[in-house]
Amino acid sequence: MENADTIAAVATPPGRGGIGVVRVSGNGIKSLVLKVIGYVPEPRYASLSKFFDEDGQVIDQGIALFFPAPHSYTGEDVLELQGHGGPAVMNLLLSSCLSAGARMAQPGEFTLRAYLNNKLDLAQAESVADIIDASTGEAARCAMRSLQGEFSNAVHIVVQALIDLRISVEASLDFSEEEIDHAHHVDVSHRLRGVQAHLEHVLASARQGSILREGIWIVLIGQPNVGKSSLLNLLAGEEAAIVTEIPGTTRDTIRRTIEIEGVPLHLLDTAGLRETDDAVEKMGIARTRSTLEKANFVLLVMDSRWGITPADQAILDSLPAGLPAIYVYNKIDLLDERSLAEVGEGGSEIYVSAITGAGIETLRQRLLEMAGWQPRSMGEGVFMARQRHLQALTTAREYLENAAELDRGAFQPELLAEELRLAQQALSAITGEFRADDLLGEIFSRFCIGK
Amino acid sequence: MRVDNRVLPLRRTPPYIAPRFTVECHLFSECDGSVVNCSENFDVIVIGGGHAGTEAALAAARMGKKTLLLSHNIETLGQMSCNPSIGGIGKGHLVKEVDALGGAMAAAADEAGIQFRILNSSKGPAVRATRVQADRMLYRQAIRRRLENQPNLWLFQQGVDDLTLEGECVTGVVTQLGIRFTARAVVLTAGTFLGGLAHVGSANFQAGRAGDPPSISLAARLREMKLPVGRLKTGTPPRIDGRSIDYSAVIEQPGDSPVPVFSFMGDAARHPRQLPCWMTHTNRHTHDIIRGGLDRSPLFTGVIEGTGPRYCPSIEDKVVRFSAKESHQIFLEPEGLGTHEVYPNGISTSLPFDMQVKLVQSIKGLENAHITRPGYAIEYDFFDPRALKSSLETKAIEGLFFAGQINGTTGYEEAAAQGLLAGINAARKTQDREAWCPRRDEAYLGVLVDDLVTRGVTEPYRMFTSRAEYRLQLREDNADLRLTGMGRELGVVDDVRWVSFEAKREAIVREQGRLKATWLNPNTSLNALPEADALRVLGKTIEHDYSLYELLRRPDVSYAALMTLPGAGECVADPVVAEQVEIQAKYHGYIERQKDEVARNAGYEDIRLPLDLDYTTVRGLSGEVQQKLNQFKPETAGQAARISGITPAAISLLLVHVKRGFSGQKKKKSA
Repeated sequence: MENADTIAAVATPPGRGGIGVVRVSGNGIKSLVLKVIGYVPEPRYASLSKFFDEDGQVIDQGIALFFPAPHSYTGEDVLELQGHGGPAVMNLLLSSCLSAGARMAQPGEFTLRAYLNNKLDLAQAESVADIIDASTGEAARCAMRSLQGEFSNAVHIVVQALIDLRISVEASLDFSEEEIDHAHHVDVSHRLRGVQAHLEHVLASARQGSILREGIWIVLIGQPNVGKSSLLNLLAGEEAAIVTEIPGTTRDTIRRTIEIEGVPLHLLDTAGLRETDDAVEKMGIARTRSTLEKANFVLLVMDSRWGITPADQAILDSLPAGLPAIYVYNKIDLLDERSLAEVGEGGSEIYVSAITGAGIETLRQRLLEMAGWQPRSMGEGVFMARQRHLQALTTAREYLENAAELDRGAFQPELLAEELRLAQQALSAITGEFRADDLLGEIFSRFCIGK
Repeated sequence: MRVDNRVLPLRRTPPYIAPRFTVECHLFSECDGSVVNCSENFDVIVIGGGHAGTEAALAAARMGKKTLLLSHNIETLGQMSCNPSIGGIGKGHLVKEVDALGGAMAAAADEAGIQFRILNSSKGPAVRATRVQADRMLYRQAIRRRLENQPNLWLFQQGVDDLTLEGECVTGVVTQLGIRFTARAVVLTAGTFLGGLAHVGSANFQAGRAGDPPSISLAARLREMKLPVGRLKTGTPPRIDGRSIDYSAVIEQPGDSPVPVFSFMGDAARHPRQLPCWMTHTNRHTHDIIRGGLDRSPLFTGVIEGTGPRYCPSIEDKVVRFSAKESHQIFLEPEGLGTHEVYPNGISTSLPFDMQVKLVQSIKGLENAHITRPGYAIEYDFFDPRALKSSLETKAIEGLFFAGQINGTTGYEEAAAQGLLAGINAARKTQDREAWCPRRDEAYLGVLVDDLVTRGVTEPYRMFTSRAEYRLQLREDNADLRLTGMGRELGVVDDVRWVSFEAKREAIVREQGRLKATWLNPNTSLNALPEADALRVLGKTIEHDYSLYELLRRPDVSYAALMTLPGAGECVADPVVAEQVEIQAKYHGYIERQKDEVARNAGYEDIRLPLDLDYTTVRGLSGEVQQKLNQFKPETAGQAARISGITPAAISLLLVHVKRGFSGQKKKKSA
């Protein structure tokens, strides 16, 4: 099957690792290769290259591998860029490929193309369906998570404003004979600028809202003697230790931030959440509770010799329902052999020793996973989902700019309509499809059409 | 059983019909009306002589197939049963396409048109559309003459009671008299005749169109075949005697001048005498009358079950749904040159007759109006078009094609377009050739059929330009460039049209070549462009060499103005050619971008999905998706992708499944 478009994705699992790979596949990708690394490397030879962004700035330096069709994983031209791992670099590299003409790959799409181009045998192909199925589900969940709160509202406002504008423009084309208030030039210009302004706002807030910048919020529960601090220092590792230490709203509550793989994790220490009669402290606790509302999950640290204490349980019970939790059993180095044998891996229970370092890697991966960076190769995480949404918004912005450009010239409503259609098509990656029939439905519900 | 061996007299209908039609039919009949064996075989039988049926029959016959057109009533062939106009925005596009494929509608409209307008003429060419007010009688005559003079086409007046089948293939039809005709392909264009029920107030009666009988037994038969059926509604206004209209109180709406033509082969000089239309408005009093009669409106008392179109509501619907609007426009359209009857477009109603009189007489200019025919609403059966292939052949019964209103569409133009396509594909069926299914980027015909077969209908389907995502390339002006070549290949375009088309196409290419090869430069060397001329035509001086073609692509530079530049050479004589060159230049960038979009989506269109594929065996598909796909059995992955609720991931899974099937087969063969 001939695919006209070029796809790109980060091929290595997000998270730890010195090297990350961005992979691009398509028919005839040489112009993209030129834009991203400045030359076409010799096929199938590892070449040290600089990687450029769309403005020609160097993002990173690494290894570029070019596999011309058909001798590649997908059977199409494939470019692999191996750069320094870590989300920031991978993100910039991917963005560069996207602005050079690729689109973000659908879940499982590389494998699908490989299969469709006879690069996988029947036995391997059996698993393709499962990969697509599993990764699609994961992607859908991540997309949902990306589309929550502020971002969703802001996107909705843009889409609605765009639909309103399209209703006027399309009605003036298809129903020019009807007695309805047709879009006036001035009116269209004004409303188009409105849509553009909304879109800029969403783009700005979406960038701010990315996990990379903002991180996630974790409720930290644990009695003073269970080894929280040493655990957190170990987690943060050599990259960046404790970044901030802000006194909480009560004497004992503390917010601190650590970074893992560049992802900020904000920890709300709930040591101060206890029964009290002190009025000032009560107010402080109320405020702390409201910050808890935005927590993404709970991290409960215990001494593995004792397990959950009644004090821990009381705090757990007081948290908003449905908050996912990770149970960390520390100090397994102090367990006797018999108890140690019972220690298993699994689910939300993690056994660690801040002294020996045992289990720390597992905990680190679990935290990243909870933050949306899941290490499984098939999924793409909330971060990628957000990336996809940003791409849709950026594409829509281009079409709206075209529309504004047209609008400044002679009134050519059918061309304006075309740009607006394409802008909406781009946004449908976020909002789901909006078809001609949906548009007509809006027109008929708003205007009395028909002789 | 007594056997009666009478020979049924099958007469040639009027004397000028070309081929002779003498058939020996043996009637084994008593009064129970059992079957008559008729020895006459046809390639294609078309049931119904409306806009779909006539185009279907003409197309099959043009392709050299022996074709039989069966109609209740030969007098009503080509009848415009609703308003007397053809074309409009989106609809005109369809008519031009039918014309580009050799169809009759545009040419008949040219012969019958008494008012011609180009709608959206102030907007870009993609949304400009032709609309004709047609004389009903002249239109019918124009269609009838074409049918009667068409070689390979036979007409016969009989209602059809039944279809004959062999297994899951259609083999012919049985008429009301029990006459049996055989054919390899049957096109059913029964319009609103299937299970038709007309309403005027609380009175209702079984009907096809006003005055025609409904096809009840055929409807029952089709229901038996378990083809999925739905119910729709449409309506007409009361007609008015023009002598009772006060024309001094209404607004005149003249046609365009110069008078446009509809057909690519048309000639404005051959239009009949032109008439204006008139416009008036409803008022508060009218609306009060209507509100007062809602308790006797079958629409609002729940008697009518079918869904009516939202874009063509009855006047009672408009008054109720848009109650803030104090006035609605009404177009008074003349029914023809030889009659006083006027069609008041905009007051379609099923109110009781006494209310109709009151509401009409409340309108300015119509105070003394005499109603010649009451308005009515009609409910009718339609078949869920998702049971059709994109050739318009039913998926369930081989050789049986459905076209027109029976598929849930409304409008003469939509019907004609489907009829033409069904006729072509029925003929190709008898040739054992693959169906011709125009794509969405090739024709409104493709948009129409694809919408129907992938999305189904929830209200009568009408074409709008906003339905076509490739609107900028699907224009009235280039319908011939898009389709006449294909039509020639299919065998529906005759020599006269072909020669004229080729001349036009060549002239366009020649002029484009000339414009691309003619350069103007800013310096004082050869072919320099004087500054004054540059400012006059281009609005600014040129800073480097430009070809005329590049300059023509600028939005504010017209072909005519460009040709006034020194060095521009001689313009083409044919204004149609000049217009086409200009439009193509202006839209160039957009069309190229749309072509990219088409190419990106093209891959899936070529991937066929077997109609007997059981989607529950496709790994990974959700239950809901499996159910949807099993219900509608898309023909290609592209169609599947356009079914609502089918995700890209589901399509990926389908691709994997289909491919696995193919490699499995290959293995079997080699083993």
